[in-house]
Amino acid sequence: MRYRIIAGVIAVALLVVLPTVARAAGSAETRGRVLQFALSGSPDTLDPQKTSGTLTFQVDRSIYDTLVEPDEKGRIIPALAESWQISPDNLTWTFKLRGDVRFHNGDLFTAKDVKATLDRIRDPATASPKASEFNAISSVATPDANTVVLHLSEPYAPLLASLASGWAAILPASLIAAGHDFDTKPVGTGPFELKSWVRDNRITLVRNPHYWMSGYPKLDGVTMNIITEHAVQIQGLLSGQIDVSYLVNKEDLDQLKSNPQTTYTTDLTSLVCVLAMNDSRAPFNNQKVREAISYAIDKKSALDVAYGGGKVVGTFMDYSDPYYVDFTGLYPYNPEKARELLASSGAPIDRPIDLALPQNYDPHVKAGEIYQQMLAKIGLNVKIRLVDWSTWLSDVYKGGNYDLTVIGHTGKLDPDGRLAGYGTGKSYVHWNNSRAADLIAEARRTVGFANRKPLYDQVLKIMAEEVPMVFVGTPYRYVGLRTNVSGFRMDPKLDTFDFRYTELK
Amino acid sequence: MLKAAADREAANGGRRIVIGIVGVYVLLLVCCAVAAPAVAPYDPAGQRLESRFSPPFSAGHLLGTDDFGRDVLSRIIWGARPALMVGVISVGLALILGLLFGLAAALGGGAVDNSIMLLMDSVLSFPTVLLAITVVAVLGYGVAQVMLAVGVIYSPVFARIVRAETLSLKEQTFVLASRALGSSLLRTVGSHILPNMLPRLLVQASATFSLAVVIESSLSFLGLGTQPPNASWGLMLKDSRSYLLQAPWLAIYPGIAIALTVFSFNFIGDVMAEKFGVRGR
Repeated sequence: MRYRIIAGVIAVALLVVLPTVARAAGSAETRGRVLQFALSGSPDTLDPQKTSGTLTFQVDRSIYDTLVEPDEKGRIIPALAESWQISPDNLTWTFKLRGDVRFHNGDLFTAKDVKATLDRIRDPATASPKASEFNAISSVATPDANTVVLHLSEPYAPLLASLASGWAAILPASLIAAGHDFDTKPVGTGPFELKSWVRDNRITLVRNPHYWMSGYPKLDGVTMNIITEHAVQIQGLLSGQIDVSYLVNKEDLDQLKSNPQTTYTTDLTSLVCVLAMNDSRAPFNNQKVREAISYAIDKKSALDVAYGGGKVVGTFMDYSDPYYVDFTGLYPYNPEKARELLASSGAPIDRPIDLALPQNYDPHVKAGEIYQQMLAKIGLNVKIRLVDWSTWLSDVYKGGNYDLTVIGHTGKLDPDGRLAGYGTGKSYVHWNNSRAADLIAEARRTVGFANRKPLYDQVLKIMAEEVPMVFVGTPYRYVGLRTNVSGFRMDPKLDTFDFRYTELK
Repeated sequence: MLKAAADREAANGGRRIVIGIVGVYVLLLVCCAVAAPAVAPYDPAGQRLESRFSPPFSAGHLLGTDDFGRDVLSRIIWGARPALMVGVISVGLALILGLLFGLAAALGGGAVDNSIMLLMDSVLSFPTVLLAITVVAVLGYGVAQVMLAVGVIYSPVFARIVRAETLSLKEQTFVLASRALGSSLLRTVGSHILPNMLPRLLVQASATFSLAVVIESSLSFLGLGTQPPNASWGLMLKDSRSYLLQAPWLAIYPGIAIALTVFSFNFIGDVMAEKFGVRGR
């Protein structure tokens, strides 16, 4: 008798479940205007102020807004703030806020939300890894509901870029006060709301019907499918289970081109890929050795083979940055010249050179194997050592226990984000140049592109000439799309996705 | 009755062919590993960035080239080295450790036996690959570390066999007779106990050998074993992942090499088990 009851329960359960499953697996019509997106991993948290993980900001970008935001060219434009003014002494920044914005929980967005958010990120209890970017703020005043005034203790030009970055997402003051769990239940003013997050599986976002940009977002929702394996993303794209994948290799492009339902876009990333040298160690403390190594590296080939193509750069700034200056003519690929320089440097190179590679980043490992061969051609005995990411961070990046390493430096909206610390000997390449360090500090205190450009020009020239690391290039990013997708954007420097303009035909 | 005999005959004929093929393959493998520099047509680490992804059977490259333009055949040939080296050395190490622990446990008896076997069982209770990863993570990456890890991890398997065989052999009349006639313990072990357990150990060694090859490949796949640009089948599989659709040969050939090697040594183990009349492994 008992078995019959159990069997009955199972039968009923199947009758209920099966049609649901069938519907879920249904065709595109039942899917509505929901974009199927491939995300390369699971974020550690969705609290924008408690992490520096890109995956978090890639999700949060759709849930939250910032006071200002980058446009497609990386210029900073109004968002939650309609306009802003900076006092002549650069110490008082006044933001005028939009009056018609609501949080997902119904709260009206006002100046006190901005104050609560900026106080939270600067609060040591929050332990935000980005807190130092807001250190210059001494106090936040809210003269009325739509005005925020930031008082600075010293002029700090990078602040505007920090306010446009994902970690300055504006949270509702009422929930901050209530100790809300922002880790898993984000509440913002953004174009989409979080509906569900199944760890390591998918993140479901639905349209915010009250979004302040009228007519946007165009989509009903975005499903971020967490797919770590690149080949699986491409397969999903080709078969139509995935609409957009941003992890496309150069080798996949032919396939995307030959399939009539897929296409791709090519943009530059904001990376500067380098072969870094430990400038505090012999023989790399000798500038001639560093120049020789730069001559020995065929940057174009390495970029093509390891990174899927891109633009060669000759200094520490990514190719599409407004502050970029071309120094690629300084140390072009020339193995003979490299050998001569090495011989004339007088540096004793009698030991094997250690090349530490972060083994979780295939392109960097690949580039490292190429550099090893190129350096062998000028007579350097380079030994590869694969290290896992945590070892790379602790032993190589922080510990300085390496001769050579390969890495890509991500960009920030402000050039100070890339350059701060260089020249002081404190950076991981241990490069000392007080002139460069002083210029970088001066540019940080100087507001306005036209005023800062000449300072950064000098810094980039010094870095190009002294070769603290071999600057290789800025790789392309290929994004694979189904042909019915249009208006997909990625924010420059931040690598986050802007789904507001995305449409499915 | 007759038909059954004929079937057996046919099966035996088929088996003999397989034995022949396995024999030739293993011989080839050993030749490749030993004489890799002479056999391989190219430098396995030699990059030719201008001829990347040549398909198999293209001019000069029988099995094609990889993402650096390196010759796949040469890398497969050189990859036999770490595979066989890890197999031979780690199984040898496991065998020696197993013998020492097994004999000590069986002959020591009592508390010695209990504590040694407790240690062996606790090593056995861990998933092997996980334990290997832990050992390599502590000792550092590289082939030598992998050999050490695999040797230690598989020693309990041998220790158990040695202990069980010794316990049963030492009560046998010929062993008791040898002891009664005044042979030393060492001599008795060397001339009576060891030779009699050798078949079982060989069968086990053959099976463990193929497991060691798989672990070497797995660890290299994870980046913990053979370090680039040296060739290893596992490392080749790892590199092939990004090009599965464009250049499937990069995954297929090292995959075949691993599968054939594992099959061969398992098969040799089976054949030996049958020949020696050893039950189960």
